[in-house]
Amino acid sequence: AHLKSFPWFGMDIGGTLVKLVYFEPKDITAEEEQEEVENLKSIRRYLTSNTAYGKTGVRDVHLELHNLTICGRTGNLHFIRFPTAAMHRFIQMGRDKHFSSLHTTLCATGGGAYKFENDFRTMADLELLKLDELDCLIQGLLYIDSVGFNGHPECYYFENPSDTQNCIKRPCCLDNLFPMLLVNIGSGVSILAVYAKDDYKRVTGTSLGGGTFLGLCCLLTGCETFEEALEMASKGDSTNVDKLVKDIYGGDYQRFGLQGSAVASSFGHMMSKEKRESISKEDLARATLVTITNNIGSIARMCAVNEKIERVVFVGNFLRINTVSTKLLAYAMDFWSKGQLRALFLEHEGYFGAVGAFLELLKSSDDA
Amino acid sequence: MEVNGFHCDGEGCAEEQEEEPKALRRPRSKTEASCSIMATPGADSAAAGGSALREQRMSKSTPAMLRLDSLKKNRPPFPWFGMDIGGTLVKLVYFEPKDITAEEEQEEVDSLKSIRRYLTSHTAYGKTGIRDVHLELSDLTLWGRKGNLHFIRFPTHELPAFLQMGRDKHFSSLHTTLCATGGGAFKYEDGFRTMANLQLLKLDELECLIKGVLYIDSVVSSGPPECYYFEHPTDPERCEQKAYNLENPYPLLLVNIGSGVSILAVYSKDNYKRVTGTSLGGGTFLGLCCLLTGCSTFEEALAMATEGESTHVDKLVKDIYGGDYERFGLPGWAVASSFGSMMCKEKRDSVSKEDLARATLVTITNNIGSITRMCALNENIERVVFVGNFLRVNTLSMKLLAYALDYWSKGQLKALFLQHEGYFGAVGALLELPNPS
Repeated sequence: AHLKSFPWFGMDIGGTLVKLVYFEPKDITAEEEQEEVENLKSIRRYLTSNTAYGKTGVRDVHLELHNLTICGRTGNLHFIRFPTAAMHRFIQMGRDKHFSSLHTTLCATGGGAYKFENDFRTMADLELLKLDELDCLIQGLLYIDSVGFNGHPECYYFENPSDTQNCIKRPCCLDNLFPMLLVNIGSGVSILAVYAKDDYKRVTGTSLGGGTFLGLCCLLTGCETFEEALEMASKGDSTNVDKLVKDIYGGDYQRFGLQGSAVASSFGHMMSKEKRESISKEDLARATLVTITNNIGSIARMCAVNEKIERVVFVGNFLRINTVSTKLLAYAMDFWSKGQLRALFLEHEGYFGAVGAFLELLKSSDDA
Repeated sequence: MEVNGFHCDGEGCAEEQEEEPKALRRPRSKTEASCSIMATPGADSAAAGGSALREQRMSKSTPAMLRLDSLKKNRPPFPWFGMDIGGTLVKLVYFEPKDITAEEEQEEVDSLKSIRRYLTSHTAYGKTGIRDVHLELSDLTLWGRKGNLHFIRFPTHELPAFLQMGRDKHFSSLHTTLCATGGGAFKYEDGFRTMANLQLLKLDELECLIKGVLYIDSVVSSGPPECYYFEHPTDPERCEQKAYNLENPYPLLLVNIGSGVSILAVYSKDNYKRVTGTSLGGGTFLGLCCLLTGCSTFEEALAMATEGESTHVDKLVKDIYGGDYERFGLPGWAVASSFGSMMCKEKRDSVSKEDLARATLVTITNNIGSITRMCALNENIERVVFVGNFLRVNTLSMKLLAYALDYWSKGQLKALFLQHEGYFGAVGALLELPNPS
């Protein structure tokens, strides 16, 4: 078999983050090592001996897949991310490390694969193999689900989502994934109905996504990062900011089954000067999180009902370290559908596009 | 027993019907059925004619007989109000009789007279109450009386002041039913009772909304057409408001954008369902704007939005793709991530308050449009009517909705708007007056 030469990468250049998967071979023979070119060795060492790169690059060690065998090679699959805003620095690094001399194909997906195509070419003499982000998302998801997460299930759900005390994370054994509604929450949101490995459609999307949460939080609270925003949100109370059904009705709106605790108008209290002066930044962060999350949940639910699909899988980096949102989505799907719909989540959250791109690299080598 | 300014008996009123402008006689059997006391073309005209006869009858009737008579004919005593107490605004409709005879006027109690004068001689009440004069419906015939229908609004947080006024003007002594809808009809029920000794007839807001829409559309006969749409909404040179005939309205998707949003599928006068709702409504727009720009009112927020550029704030498809996302038909100018550029400090420092206001407006409006489109698709309905005070003086949102619905549905859906925007709930409440609970 004429395999593609190392290094093996898959790249997903999104609106906010670049997701990179890197396959580190662990079965290199002494002979192979001797023949290995310097820059390839240097890349391998740089990536695997660090967990942070520059000021903003991070390797998610806890997501590493060990002893993966793929296309006859055994090794570890690493998951790395950095802000898209640092893209030019990354390309620069590719040039400095003479990446182009390795004559490897660089499989890339996401909008940035198109936006930065020329920059890769002119700055680092690299040709991108551009792939569609939703194709990659699905292929990546199916692959990771099939190989599992170091012997554990990739997929999970929440039992008793409405019970804050007894809400437990449980592994999900999906005998049959299809059909599923796939909700990808990145900077923005895409919602796909997936019927089979090669049969899916993009149902709709919404521009109120992770980018909206972070953008609004930065404006409203002065925070600067996703982690800061989440930290604040975990401490706040959104009911100080939102106008609830009971604030308008004095109780439930019984006629249409709307509980008093349901939000009638997000940020609805904020038209009152007194209320604005009495709330905290944490309350605002929480309200922003809840508003964006519930809106996505509501739209997802409508799609699930219309497409007649019961399984709703949420992915994307908006959910990274964001248990408030995952639990809220689990609750909302369960509650508003009276138990008909189930929200599912995946450990590798925002990396499926990059995995899908990585798989495409190996697929093209099979054809050769 | 006091006569609260009510005088006419059924047969006497027939004469008035012949004076109606022709447009009111449009056959609308469905609305007539629901407003059974409303002027029915030709119905009672066979009765004895001539106002002279009527006056003759009048002078022979005592107040008690008149009241008995009116009760028999199911006509409510004055004043005639309909009230919709929403999350942000109270909407009030008031029927001002213009056919009061000298005799009736003489017998009219002071409190009633004073209410009538206060409401009709002002266009502003206190610091925050406003009468939308441009929406007034003149020469309306309702339950046999002729008069003007007035549209008044004030913030819900001023309700205590309103109740105080009701008490000071001894409204309760008029023994009139106060028909009220909206969440506040439930929330403030006790307040009305304890502060002003008034009993509310509570009505469901969505029932009232639909009744109100159907009624107003049927009676508007002059001035701008009640129902309209936009042709070429995004082309400032060619954009035109055009009349739309709502005579055969069903099925209809009714999107009510108040503090929050309710979406109803209406199949017939009595057959509708609440499809869904969203909490990202007018209250969200105003709340976020106040926080982001320091403004305090809806009008200020809109003024800022008119001046701003949302593309400075939002992340567009082209910002991520460098152009269109062709595979799924997403043009480069479409918003990929609302407020998505605001995670970057440089961009935050470079945008204006106006840009933020605009982005907030566009985000909320497009989200409503998107959800609406999904509902229309699922319910198989092509006509979408947008109402609610979020659209008051807000052509920006109306045009955006018109454009978005048309564009994303490839021309299948049509966005319609109504002049009386946020008042339909109050009108629907008014229409319940003759029916005891």
